[in-house]
Amino acid sequence: MNYPYQIEIPECKFIMNVLEVKHLTKNYNKKEIVRDISLGVEQGQLLALLGTSGCGKTTTLRMIAGLETPDDGEIWIEGTLASHGRKVVISQKQRHIGMVFQDLALWPHMTVYENIEFGLKANGLTRAERRKKIEAVLHKVNMQKYTNAYPGKLSGGQQQLIAIARAIITEPRLLLMDEPLSSIDVKLREDIRQEIKRIQQETRITTVYVTHDQEDAFLLADKIAVMNNGMLEQIGIPEEIYSSPTSFFVASFVGEANIMQVRIAGKDRVLTPWGELVCSTKDPDGKNAYLFFRPHQATIEDGGHCHGTIINRDFVAGVYKYRVSTSGIEFKLQDQTKHDIGKCIKFSIRKMDILFF
Amino acid sequence: MQKRLTLGFFFILFLGTTFLPIVWMFGNSVYEEGKFSFVYYKDIFLTQKYGKVISNSLILASLTTILSSLFGVPAGFFLSKTNLPLKKLFKICFFIPLIIPSYITGIAWVNLLGKTGFLNNVFSQYTMLSSESVSDFIYSTYGASFILSMNLFPVVMLVTEYALKSVNPRLEESGLVVGSVFQVFRQITLPLIAPAILSGMMIVFVLSLSEFGVPSLLQVNVLTTQIFTQFSAFYNEKAATAIAFPLIVITFILIMLEKIYMRGKSFEMLGRTSSISTTQYNITWLNVVGITFCTFVLLVCVIIPLSTLIFNTKTISAYHDAILLARNGITNSILFGSIGATFLTLIGFFLGYLSENIRSKLRSSIAAFIWIFFAVPATVSGIGLIKLWNRPESACQFIYSSLWIVILGYVIRFLPLSSRIMTNYLKQIPHAMEDAGTVTGASWFRILGKILLPLQGYGLIATWLISFMFCIGELGTTILVYPPGHETLPIALFTVMANSPTDVVSALSIIIVVMTLLPVGVFLVVSKYLVLKPKLGLQ
Repeated sequence: MNYPYQIEIPECKFIMNVLEVKHLTKNYNKKEIVRDISLGVEQGQLLALLGTSGCGKTTTLRMIAGLETPDDGEIWIEGTLASHGRKVVISQKQRHIGMVFQDLALWPHMTVYENIEFGLKANGLTRAERRKKIEAVLHKVNMQKYTNAYPGKLSGGQQQLIAIARAIITEPRLLLMDEPLSSIDVKLREDIRQEIKRIQQETRITTVYVTHDQEDAFLLADKIAVMNNGMLEQIGIPEEIYSSPTSFFVASFVGEANIMQVRIAGKDRVLTPWGELVCSTKDPDGKNAYLFFRPHQATIEDGGHCHGTIINRDFVAGVYKYRVSTSGIEFKLQDQTKHDIGKCIKFSIRKMDILFF
Repeated sequence: MQKRLTLGFFFILFLGTTFLPIVWMFGNSVYEEGKFSFVYYKDIFLTQKYGKVISNSLILASLTTILSSLFGVPAGFFLSKTNLPLKKLFKICFFIPLIIPSYITGIAWVNLLGKTGFLNNVFSQYTMLSSESVSDFIYSTYGASFILSMNLFPVVMLVTEYALKSVNPRLEESGLVVGSVFQVFRQITLPLIAPAILSGMMIVFVLSLSEFGVPSLLQVNVLTTQIFTQFSAFYNEKAATAIAFPLIVITFILIMLEKIYMRGKSFEMLGRTSSISTTQYNITWLNVVGITFCTFVLLVCVIIPLSTLIFNTKTISAYHDAILLARNGITNSILFGSIGATFLTLIGFFLGYLSENIRSKLRSSIAAFIWIFFAVPATVSGIGLIKLWNRPESACQFIYSSLWIVILGYVIRFLPLSSRIMTNYLKQIPHAMEDAGTVTGASWFRILGKILLPLQGYGLIATWLISFMFCIGELGTTILVYPPGHETLPIALFTVMANSPTDVVSALSIIIVVMTLLPVGVFLVVSKYLVLKPKLGLQ
């Protein structure tokens, strides 16, 4: 990983990662659920843990929260070792973490006020101080009106905001969110997502956000960590993840992409289904080479240097999406113009990369 | 740490109250004059002496299971799949036989079919049957199964109803498009719910195998009554324990077989989504059959026995006499029942919590381990308690000579049940509710007091009332362990039965029925009017 381990150097504290996870591993019934995960989150950042369901992202989050004990690896929170191997150094009580759960887990027998107050009581504040804090946080999430309502009476989106308020009331060092939008209607999601973004940016709470939804990850995150099969595939800023995937999984999982195996014919020359193309090949390093381009990075035009036959066409959101085949190899293109199925077309790829996995 | 200590404490409490007496007793039975000896077991398995008793027990259990299914499966079907008029009334009334102790139904039917009984007279006058043959029938293994099945059919009915409701209606609808109702039921619905029905039948089998009250009332010689005789007449508790052994083995084999059979079969879900309601058949002739059937079952299992008892009491003075005779028993039953129910709820909650929160692999084993104890016959538990606690001149003696031995009896009998009920309630509360408390840094006791227990309010009340109900009716263990002056209502009934007129016995039976039905009434009111559920919007 290309982030600094500054925790040992006191002078560099200002760029210290709030959360630092090293070689985290967890097994269930002899199956490795999380394998050797290492990542860091800087102060005020939002890191999205992105992956398909069952890839180990929630388990990772629960280990950070202290709800699960890791089998191996270290968790550092604000430069303090929280767990080391199977040894829990700091219990979840002292980790000072806020968490929003997948199904929100608002306590149905308590009012909104009581739900939020629960975490404050352990802090030894007076009743008046607590009230002031709760009012402030309800104001922050625009839910002042619902102080005495029971969660069962609130809409999904409102419950969401209360769950966030409950998590941030203690001013945690770290906020963990486990698929918070998964229980919300698609229409409402966008609004709530904006709210989460606003609240996170205003409070500058360092956040780890688990999601399987790419849109969530790309719209909210400062940094995205893509997980697959219990392993960390890639971590980086959203632009990096999108345009320079470092693994086959990330390349195919994030966004729409065409990936095909090619042969390196020489320096900056690759052998493709459309003949030899000129493309920066960097250092091949003995690995398999793949040609990688996104559908919108190609243009269908008469003078194009590639060719293929259209085998399928869909019209989605104002754009025609084509499946095209060249000598048995299928790939995706898109265009504003309608072309017939079965037609031979020419196209050129404006930007392509050769990736080595 | 708080959590571990608390759960550990309650698990040890479970081991001490339920597991230890029984293991102690079995350990004791293979230990003769300072060395191991299987002499009592040889007696059972290698001689013909108990062949008849074992076969009687098996006949009783099998017949009861078959009869219960004949009542229960159709009843479950009609109550969940048709639009019967008075469906709600039937539903509530079919609970009654399960709640009132089986020996009460027994007393009523003996009154009816015994030599001087009303129905006996009717049969002997208008049919070919002689008065003796009718009376012989009720005092036989067949009569006992007949009565037990009246009490236990609701078990099969409930599992059938529940399973039918969990079948994804789309599965049936897709069949109804091309086939008849009959075909759909036989080829689609029935195979889907078969595992559930089988497990219900297994519960009935195990319960009737370990039943003591009815066989003892009807003087049917089965394993449980034999255990009682060996112990109370011959003071041979080792032989009594050895006789109990086949019961435990049969039960254990059945539970194992069920586990193997159910492996990979999930009848609970069946692809059900909550938004679709159960397929209901609105066919006139089916409704007619349904209402006839349900009325018949209601008559035989509830109305006839209860009205016989009421009719037999004749005068108010019978109640007066009954109360006078059993005054002590009534107050004792209420006191012991309340304490017992409180313990059962409390330990049940923590055991349920333990088996729900343990690592997935152990979870089913712990639940099965606790459940096995429900099959231990009441008389066996009684002997175990006596063996463990009867230690003159030791500090424990006060337990043996006070109400606590009766309460321990309730705990040993019904803890598996109360923890099972509690587990089911605990299952409805997502784990995240507790996790959300944990991440705030609150102590486990605070989470317990502010989140877990309040969320379980409804489940705790239900478990308490059900436990109380069962404690009130408990006979088999209490009859062995109760110290002088600590008799409960059922004991008073069995004593009164030997030397009092029918009207007093009937009056006392009615008192027991009222006392067991009362908590159910309270429960229904609570579940309907207590603000908890609707306010929370809990499912």
